[in-house]
Amino acid sequence: MLTPLQRHLTSIFLKIFWRDRRSIFFSLFFPILFMLVFSFANNRDQQPIAIGIVNDSSSQVASDFIEMLIDSPLFEVTSGEVLPLREQLIVGEQTMVLVLPEEFAANVDDINSEIKVIVDAAQLAQFNLIMPVLEQTLLSIEREFRDIEPMFSIEIEDVQARSQRYIDFLLPGLMAFTLMQLAIAGSGFNIVEYRRKGILKRLFVTPIESRDFITAIVLARMAIVLVQLSILILLAVLLLDIRIVGNFFAYYLVMVLGTIVFLCQGFCLGSLARTQEAIGAIGNIVIMPQIFLSGIFYPIESMPELVQPIAKLLPLSFVSTGMREVANSGATLIEITPSLIGIAVWFVISFVAATRLFLWKEVAN
Amino acid sequence: MPIIEVTNLAKQYPQPDNKTEHFFAVDGVSLQIEQGEIFGILGPNGAGKTTTLEMLEGLIDIDGGSAIINGIDVSSNPRQVKEIIGVQLQANEYFDKVSLQELLALFGALYRRTINPLALLEKVQLREKAREKPANLSGGQKQRFSIASALVNDPKVLFLDEPTTGLDPQAKRNLWNLVRGLNSAGMTIVLTTHNMEEAEELCDRLAIMDKGKIIAEGSPQELILQHAPEPPEAPLHGDLEDVFLVLTGHGLRE
Repeated sequence: MLTPLQRHLTSIFLKIFWRDRRSIFFSLFFPILFMLVFSFANNRDQQPIAIGIVNDSSSQVASDFIEMLIDSPLFEVTSGEVLPLREQLIVGEQTMVLVLPEEFAANVDDINSEIKVIVDAAQLAQFNLIMPVLEQTLLSIEREFRDIEPMFSIEIEDVQARSQRYIDFLLPGLMAFTLMQLAIAGSGFNIVEYRRKGILKRLFVTPIESRDFITAIVLARMAIVLVQLSILILLAVLLLDIRIVGNFFAYYLVMVLGTIVFLCQGFCLGSLARTQEAIGAIGNIVIMPQIFLSGIFYPIESMPELVQPIAKLLPLSFVSTGMREVANSGATLIEITPSLIGIAVWFVISFVAATRLFLWKEVAN
Repeated sequence: MPIIEVTNLAKQYPQPDNKTEHFFAVDGVSLQIEQGEIFGILGPNGAGKTTTLEMLEGLIDIDGGSAIINGIDVSSNPRQVKEIIGVQLQANEYFDKVSLQELLALFGALYRRTINPLALLEKVQLREKAREKPANLSGGQKQRFSIASALVNDPKVLFLDEPTTGLDPQAKRNLWNLVRGLNSAGMTIVLTTHNMEEAEELCDRLAIMDKGKIIAEGSPQELILQHAPEPPEAPLHGDLEDVFLVLTGHGLRE
């Protein structure tokens, strides 16, 4: 059980954090900014593709074809003349321009009607996506005219309906990253700051024991991390319509375990570094590679083969992978056993190192 | 029986320029400080005053000799000693964003006591600053607050490390009055200083330290009688500063 001193000290640490509005702002600002930017970028992809149509044909097929394209949610159609549309294509307002020539489908039996497609080479990626849709649309019109039943039809699924968006992938990673930052700042950076100011020395001349101090730091930081991450989840669910598929208990359990690992690492860093500059430097050695290698922004599988085995062993990789599997695929605790084992191994390593390095008498002086 | 009994206290550190060699920062210091005294340790920078205090306070390990406070051995029972002493360190910064009142309550909790922060602040004339943060205090106010924070456990011995360094004359006198007040209520006070006026004015007894050793000890009057240079033909007032310079030399310290 907690002693009154441990409770008192914990509440002081919470007060210090709560009253430091600037660091609250910054610890929430970047994850929220990332979330908003990427969900915005995400939504843009689902906007209809702008195409220009020049209809030189007077046939019924041509106007039906255009009608269908206009009705399709996938396209935003602008009708007009070749030259202005070409200009729009060059400045990027149109993705492609279709020219239906005068002789297009003039004769229903003439299958060899051709459509001229003007594209910008830079947009070729999109072109490959669009062409099947156009062909499908033409095919269905053709069938209609010839009165034959289609043998099969392709249903074009809206991208929105796909279960995994980038933002869904990103959120657990961002949360793992935020948790690491808050934990390492809470133990590592704060200890260096308290020591520089002589606060640890002042505490050390009282009958306080190191476990009182450590317990209070760990409890206060744990509360701060869980509240901050809950705010992120709440924003993600309410504003960005992110679904967390898995069990919330499992999700939070991974967060708690991850926070403990990084708090231990913070105690190590705080004991090693004597100055604020030093902790900034060695803090970056620990933090920076994990930002890029731990599958926060993109899957570890997309990295060079050579890097992957190392990347997978980083503590943040285990935490972010575990959280992602729970959040995105609804994995149970048993299914994320590999991540849990990884976290446990890192806990043992970090805890042993922390107890070796964090010697109250030395750290306080 | 003295409340503090120090015998042959020693502390060694590696040489700053050659880590394989060691030097004695405190070299065989013996002191007896009586209950209810204001005892001053005087000395130039680097003489070992702070190191001596920090060993008595249980902050750093004692490498040689012994220190006994109120019958408790500091080396073997540092926590028990910490219960009965109050300490004001040279650095007096505290947690940001925490008010004086809250800090004192926290310090009380460190001794498992519930204290009345306002009464304590009243004692050091900081009652109206109860809700202020330490960063907003003046130098003298900071020192008085440090003393308040050292009083939360009703200590038997109060250690003050250069309490008036950097204070203006008003703040200095104000702090002396505070220290006298605490002393007249029975508290033993041990302080370090290099302010001669302070030593002469405030201390019942003094020890002058240089290069880790005590080179003179006694009441200010005794020290002046023993060590002040003979007055020249045209009478020149010999004061404690002369004593200090005669004993420790004129060489400039770090």
